[in-house]
Amino acid sequence: MIKKIGLLLLIASLTTSCVAVKEYEKVYLNDPDMLLGAKKSNKFVTSFQVYREAASGANGGKSGGGCGCN
Amino acid sequence: MKIKMKIIIIIVIVLFTSLVGFSQTTNTEYKKRVLETAEVDILTSFYSQDGDNAAVTGGIGTEKLTDIATNFTISIPLNDDDVFTVDATISAYTSASSSNLNPFDANGSSIIYYDNGKNESDKSSGNNGNPIAATSGASSTVVSNNTLSSGGASPWYESTGASKSDVWVNGTFNYSHSSDNRNTILDADASFAKEFDYTSIGVGGGVTKLFNEKNTEIGLKANVYLDNWSPVYPTEIHSYLTANQNLNNGFFSGVDILNQSGNIIDKNGTNVWSPINTTLVDNNARNTYSLSVSFFQILSKKTQVSLFFDLVQQNGWLSNPMQRVYFADRANYYIGNASSIPNYTSPTNTNVFQLADDIERLPNSRLKLPIGIRFNQYINEFVTLRTYYRYYYDDWGIQSSTAEIELPVKISEKFTLYPSYRYYTQTAADYFAPYEQHISTEKFYTSDYDLSKFNSNQIGVGFSYTDIFAKSHIWKLGLKSIDVKYNSYKRNTRFKAGIISAGFKFVMD
Repeated sequence: MIKKIGLLLLIASLTTSCVAVKEYEKVYLNDPDMLLGAKKSNKFVTSFQVYREAASGANGGKSGGGCGCN
Repeated sequence: MKIKMKIIIIIVIVLFTSLVGFSQTTNTEYKKRVLETAEVDILTSFYSQDGDNAAVTGGIGTEKLTDIATNFTISIPLNDDDVFTVDATISAYTSASSSNLNPFDANGSSIIYYDNGKNESDKSSGNNGNPIAATSGASSTVVSNNTLSSGGASPWYESTGASKSDVWVNGTFNYSHSSDNRNTILDADASFAKEFDYTSIGVGGGVTKLFNEKNTEIGLKANVYLDNWSPVYPTEIHSYLTANQNLNNGFFSGVDILNQSGNIIDKNGTNVWSPINTTLVDNNARNTYSLSVSFFQILSKKTQVSLFFDLVQQNGWLSNPMQRVYFADRANYYIGNASSIPNYTSPTNTNVFQLADDIERLPNSRLKLPIGIRFNQYINEFVTLRTYYRYYYDDWGIQSSTAEIELPVKISEKFTLYPSYRYYTQTAADYFAPYEQHISTEKFYTSDYDLSKFNSNQIGVGFSYTDIFAKSHIWKLGLKSIDVKYNSYKRNTRFKAGIISAGFKFVMD
């Protein structure tokens, strides 16, 4: 598990850009489909997955509590 | 308690650091409002599932369930910097497996029919007929008297007990404040949720810092949920305890209990049914403490990535008191039709029900560590690539991987198509075993297939309509977007589900 977490951290650190993208250059990044968090319209899909699967969290949304599910 | 204290200390440090950051902000440049105008989101969905491994009936039986849910989210800008958000959800479900918390209810699985065409429910309205049959689902069994022993309860058919349906309501209130330079965001939230056997109160707070010309973002969020069971139990176990463990009293009075051979047992004898434990839920609390770290990074003008890491600790009664367990090393006892016992695990069994050995028992602590990464690429003006991967580990022995890809395709200025695919796999919890495979000497046990080893595939397709000028109006609300999506979900077992959802986003004039 530690190896997998380390690998993800390594990927994240390697992907850090050296040159910052300016505000006026973010037109593509500001496209609604480029949203990095969980989509609001997926709320109920995520909800049933939380009930029906043992794993949850790490998707920018709620990670537990509030229901008798996992 | 140690973890709880640590989380509180972290929240205090984070908030203090953030406040210091605010006090040092002297930016007097023009600032754009965080939210220009009030927004209203309405999301509604219909969910349906079916399978053969209901946890309420010990790992076999129908999992048929439908759920209709609606969510309202209203975001209100209080000033240039502050936004207040109210999020309310109501979810109503009907569940065949939950209904079998009490499969013996007189008006459902064990309807008694009379020779004048009326049934049990007509007794109070002048039914003078003689009882002829009890039914469950599609079949009927001739009976000689109006007792539960004549009834046709089965894990494969829905009962009509009170637990057949329920409504879950949830409300969350969130307040967020952005600094003048928009490089620091503080937020706090409080939530409440209620269903018939469960209540939850949650509070949380977080801070988000943006660096590197807003190319890098780090967020820290902590939440505490103080939940409480109002436990309900399988009816035979609850009735046995309320009848002072006497099979001639209360619910069991006049009810025949059958052994594996289908013979009626002597309730005063030595070989009789009893649950293995007489102590049920001794701690109604179920608390969740979570700490979430998020990291967002812009990689290029068309590429960005995010990393999420959660640390979740749960304490309290973590098993579900509704869920039955049957042990391999204990004799089996039934109520219903003796001739159906050999077919008990088959959906053809319509009229016999096995008495539980116990409710599921799980440790009172669980540590969960999910880590996820999202990578989005703007390919061209028509296509965007959205990907997500999550690795999950917990100290119950479960490890899982989730991989998801979505490929939004802009088919016109206002319409976008959303095909998606998701693959999920998990190992089994240390405490899981199928129906009749646990041993009574085990300390923890469950036959909940949500904790079993499985994998699943989910295919989705949806479309969105977006009008950035929100020209269409309802009252003072301009319609900004519509999202409709259908997802089909299948496990490598017989479990399958489908969900269709529709979302509407409005902006206030």
